[in-house]
Amino acid sequence: MENLYIEATKSSPEIDFNKDTNTLSVKGESYPENTAQFYEPVFEWLESYLEELEDAQVNVNMELIYFNSSSSKALMDIFDTLEEASEDGKNIVVNWIYDEDNDAALEYGEEFAEDMESLTFNLIEK
Amino acid sequence: MISLYNYKQDLKEQGIIFSFSGPMSHDIIEGIGSAIRIKISEGENGDKNIALKVFSIFVEQVENVINYSVEKDSIDSDMGFGIVVVGKKDDIYFISGGNKIPNEKVEKLETMLSNLIAMDKEELKAFYKERRKAAKEGDSKGAGIGFIEMARKSTKPIEYNFIPVDDEYSFFTIKISI
Repeated sequence: MENLYIEATKSSPEIDFNKDTNTLSVKGESYPENTAQFYEPVFEWLESYLEELEDAQVNVNMELIYFNSSSSKALMDIFDTLEEASEDGKNIVVNWIYDEDNDAALEYGEEFAEDMESLTFNLIEK
Repeated sequence: MISLYNYKQDLKEQGIIFSFSGPMSHDIIEGIGSAIRIKISEGENGDKNIALKVFSIFVEQVENVINYSVEKDSIDSDMGFGIVVVGKKDDIYFISGGNKIPNEKVEKLETMLSNLIAMDKEELKAFYKERRKAAKEGDSKGAGIGFIEMARKSTKPIEYNFIPVDDEYSFFTIKISI
């Protein structure tokens, strides 16, 4: 499989999923016109990747300034997928990166973290 | 020809900073949304967090108009007709949106909004998480979550009303305070 790279736009984040370094980054803002359509290739890639993944550590870096409510649902689905993989013994670390003066980004990160049980979910101030 | 002066003065008296009425598309969110963020975050009393909150409510309201207004050019058009205003009165920002909906949807929406208004912060948080985990239902493009999100951010209870237009339609207005 190939790495996945989607350039950021004003309303959609940069997706940089690299299977060689096992680093998956989502960065920017997320309020795309069609959320399901935007995240579909992201889910497809993630599922194939997790199937092939062995015991390497995966770092998922999430750095989102703003996302709308439908993206929040898509992000939850991504974390649920990662949580399941983690329950299956995969070594996955999520880093939720937020700006110190962005209160909402920290709150959202805390709320995602509360919902995760086996997945390591770090909150990291930039 | 008509002058827009009185119209502009009316908006000013009501504290309205931005007003958009007409066909809405995603471009409106990006364009007017950026202007709102800049206007609120910059200047002497600028506040990035307030700007982001107001912007986030604006996004949800424009998306509701796009997705749920019955006034569209065609059934699968990605534009919906409606109105969204952003204003400030007594140091409180308000974001208000409106669009026409079918009468048969009024009761369901009314029940949902009155339920949200009756919830406290913790209940809203729990409900938000529950809905976020749940699968999408029917024609709802995730709007349930959008309303919960607005209720959570609003510093006052959500305000709303329905004005009957005719036998088929009503006009729905919602107001959020930040």
